[in-house]
Amino acid sequence: MKRKSFLQFSAPSLLLMLALLAFPMLMTLWLSVCNCTPQMALVTVQQTGPFGATTVTTQRAKVDATGRALLDCSFVGLNFYRNILGMDKSNANGNETSPTKQGSAGDGYNEFIGALRFTLLYTILTTPFILVGGLAMALAMNHVTHRLKGLFIAASLLPFIITPVVGALSIKWLFRDDGLVPYLLQQVGIQVFWMAQAWSAQLLVIFYGIWHVMPFAFIVFYAGLQGVPQDSLEAARLDGASRWQQFRYVTLPHLASLLVFVTLIHLMDAYRVFEPVLVLTRGAFTTSVQYLTYAVLLEENNAYKASAAAILTLIGIGVLLIPLLRRTWREQRGSD
Amino acid sequence: MKSSTITARIALHLGLGAWLLLACLPIFWMVLISLRDYVDAFSSPLKWVAPITFENYRRLWVAQAFYLNFFNTAVVTLSVVTVSLTVGCLAGYAFSRYRGSLGFWLLLVALAFRAIPHSTLLPAFFSMFDAMGIRNTIFALVLVLVAINQPFTIWMLRSFFMHIPAELDEAAQIDGCTRAQAFRRVIVPVMWPGIVTTGLFSFLLAYNDFLLSSALTNGEKMTMPAAIANAITAESETLLMQGVAGAVSITIPLILLVAFFQKQIVSGLTQGAVKG
Amino acid sequence: MRRRNLLQAALSSGLASGVMPSNATEPLCRKAGLQARLELVANSFPVMQHLAKIATGCNGGDLQVNFKLTPRVKYEVETAFASAGKSPFDAAVVSAGVFSDLYARSQIYPLTDLVRKYGARYQLEERMLVRMDGEVMAIAFMQNTQNLYYRRDLFERHRIAIPATYDQMLQAAKLLRVKEPGIANPIAQTFAQGWDLATEFTNLLFSMGGRFFIPGSAEPAFHSSEGVSTVALMRSLLPYMSPNALSSNSDDVMNQLQQGRAAMGVLWASRAARMDDPSASRVIGLIDFAAAPAARLGGTSAAHLWWDGVVLPRNGPAQREATFQVLMEMLSADSVAAGNDLTIWVRGNYKPGRTGVGVELAMAGGAKTWPAEPFFTLAHAQVGKVLADAIKGIRDPAQALAGAAASYRLAAIEKGYIREGHA
Repeated sequence: MKRKSFLQFSAPSLLLMLALLAFPMLMTLWLSVCNCTPQMALVTVQQTGPFGATTVTTQRAKVDATGRALLDCSFVGLNFYRNILGMDKSNANGNETSPTKQGSAGDGYNEFIGALRFTLLYTILTTPFILVGGLAMALAMNHVTHRLKGLFIAASLLPFIITPVVGALSIKWLFRDDGLVPYLLQQVGIQVFWMAQAWSAQLLVIFYGIWHVMPFAFIVFYAGLQGVPQDSLEAARLDGASRWQQFRYVTLPHLASLLVFVTLIHLMDAYRVFEPVLVLTRGAFTTSVQYLTYAVLLEENNAYKASAAAILTLIGIGVLLIPLLRRTWREQRGSD
Repeated sequence: MKSSTITARIALHLGLGAWLLLACLPIFWMVLISLRDYVDAFSSPLKWVAPITFENYRRLWVAQAFYLNFFNTAVVTLSVVTVSLTVGCLAGYAFSRYRGSLGFWLLLVALAFRAIPHSTLLPAFFSMFDAMGIRNTIFALVLVLVAINQPFTIWMLRSFFMHIPAELDEAAQIDGCTRAQAFRRVIVPVMWPGIVTTGLFSFLLAYNDFLLSSALTNGEKMTMPAAIANAITAESETLLMQGVAGAVSITIPLILLVAFFQKQIVSGLTQGAVKG
Repeated sequence: MRRRNLLQAALSSGLASGVMPSNATEPLCRKAGLQARLELVANSFPVMQHLAKIATGCNGGDLQVNFKLTPRVKYEVETAFASAGKSPFDAAVVSAGVFSDLYARSQIYPLTDLVRKYGARYQLEERMLVRMDGEVMAIAFMQNTQNLYYRRDLFERHRIAIPATYDQMLQAAKLLRVKEPGIANPIAQTFAQGWDLATEFTNLLFSMGGRFFIPGSAEPAFHSSEGVSTVALMRSLLPYMSPNALSSNSDDVMNQLQQGRAAMGVLWASRAARMDDPSASRVIGLIDFAAAPAARLGGTSAAHLWWDGVVLPRNGPAQREATFQVLMEMLSADSVAAGNDLTIWVRGNYKPGRTGVGVELAMAGGAKTWPAEPFFTLAHAQVGKVLADAIKGIRDPAQALAGAAASYRLAAIEKGYIREGHA
């Protein structure tokens, strides 16, 4: 195909992505190095309301002739980045402290690093289970009788197609205090309050991740298994290869590119984990990087700081993805 | 030999069946408690049997006008799938036939775009749409979801298209078709299973979206996931139970979808995604 | 497009009129023949749903009212009111805290003239008007506070006096845990990490005699000895609460009381009526209410007074008269009567009933209004982040609070409340 046709055909798609993905990203980059604040002055105000009258000493923004607040916008460089990564040097009384005292938390705990750590932990822990579990399910499903296959496949896809918010909620309702799972565990003498401490809440989020994504791996591998060349399998069997050897030397290589594909997709999605963190923990004990950006944006209402968090998040995913993208592309190139 | 194979097969079916039941347990439980009053649904200690009531559903669908949300979701989802597939097919086809390095780089960039966390795009969306005056519109939401969906759609469609030999295009062109005609009349009909499969993934993304839908729509224009999220965080037992009923209501179409389309999904993926 | 909008409008207005009390006359907003397309926003509590139905009941003819109900109302309002262009919303229902933020940034449109013009027609009461230096800036319509919920039957059975301080509350809890086997965790209080926990801290800190800021400045003062004492007090409550206390939000806590697993707790007054609802509660009629205990002997009741009201943005579209009239329709005496038990209304015709006396109790106990400094929410957020670890003993409370104060300082500098380089 000539380049001109290529561009003509792909123009609508590329334009959409440019306008609604690339451009906002640039805007975010710009926002992350700026800060706009109103100019504040001390005032004393008489406030009356449903509870009577009080005098309040507070701060109010200086306004211009039309009554709008005057904004001080300035370029602040990497300030927000430093803030988020806890490299700001200050303590409660506004004095400079030594650079060794990490972050404004005073004892080494930094929210972003914690969120990043959990996000990576989640990604690393869910991936093997998803791959192995999905593969096992696909292999098993191959031996299911034809009549039950439809039902089994439909049932297995359910956790994947369910709305993430709904899925996370359904797990929360199962694991809440006095929920079904704690009740059953109590019958065997184990008492766990799932939402009460970090390790159990994190476990729940990881469990959600495995529950939700394994069917996706399953269906991709299952589809791949249908395409395993039967004659190679026959040949291997005739040569006396055991089932395991058949699997290892014929089936697995055939599925290799699919394994990479699923891993790639899952890495991208796992890094953006949001709904389970929102529903199961609300940011207590465990945060993920996307939840942090969301919280800084919507709860702290600091679009500039949130933008810095967003850019840091993007850098993180970039670092994670580059080796895998190169591998995938080489596979694609090789098979063309 | 035969009997152990049969035992093995029975064991396999039972094992897999049990595993699937367990996987669907959260959903079963959710359906069960949606048919109870709050005092029984979230009781302490757990209640196995409790009076069944449809009050939550009645309140949700009638009093809270959930059918409006359902309608919005339907409109958004159908629009996103249609536009996504149209635009994506063109691009996917182009990427599959073009051999230059521009294609490689663009594809890589598109894939990188898929990794963007959606919350990072919100501030930009708010100011853009406010400036254009289209903030609380289905139109804006559809555009955003289509754009977000493009990378994955293009990638999938491209790999499907790559399985259609270029000879087919050439044959059509030799017969007198332009590129565009060849695309429309010859390639697309052959591609239909792949398009259906990609369409289903598109559908899921649009139907299940929560973050962007709740941020970009108001009151009546809310889609279903956004509406139930409201119900659940509203600090009210009645609304919480309506949220549970809503969660089940959202899931039912998905269950029907997967029941009817699971064959297509498998065959579509088998055909095209074999090479990833 | 147009057909669908009409369909939606017809459906929603039909729905609204189906819900209105049958003896209501045609709303004034319909008779006024207003011409506008209004966008309103509020939180998604049941009372807001009720108000939204009434506001959208004004739909018809050339008037269309769209009401967005979202738990993220604070963010939506702050962004909308701060926008350089026109605000996407004509009005918003905000809490007192958000009002202070908006007021400090001069983003609220004064309502004095509109009140003068329409006040009599809609019977606006003076108590509903929130004035700053005389100018009406908001119309408050609902109020809230925290009360002590306690099981009157159990307290009577074991002859326990209603606790006036938290120490007495602990004593009561200790006694009940021993005497009532079904109540292993007698205290149910909203200690969910983050906003809820920070609010508990705020209530207790002021009752302890502490302060959040050095008077006349935005410098933090909550990392004082009173702050540490407050953390210690909260820590002493934990053994009597569910092990899940630090992730229990107000729904969970209400559930514990409703299911009879807890015997007392300080909770939002507006939810009191839920204790008597048969579809939600197993302890109907058994729960009574009192002013929240004080943190120490001689302190004020550890609670704050809240109000929610409507505000108009300074950068709003030029249809303020229509907006105001629709809002007044929404907040009329009829709408209060129709939704009497949904919240604690400010209007005079509110009939409190057994469960609606919360605000009176709190005011009698000396509770003050929620802090009005615009930088308070920043401090509140930072405290919320460190409290859980401080209360559990994972972090030293003094250090944790100092850390929160340092984080707060940085946030306040970012927002312009503290000028760097000044003390």
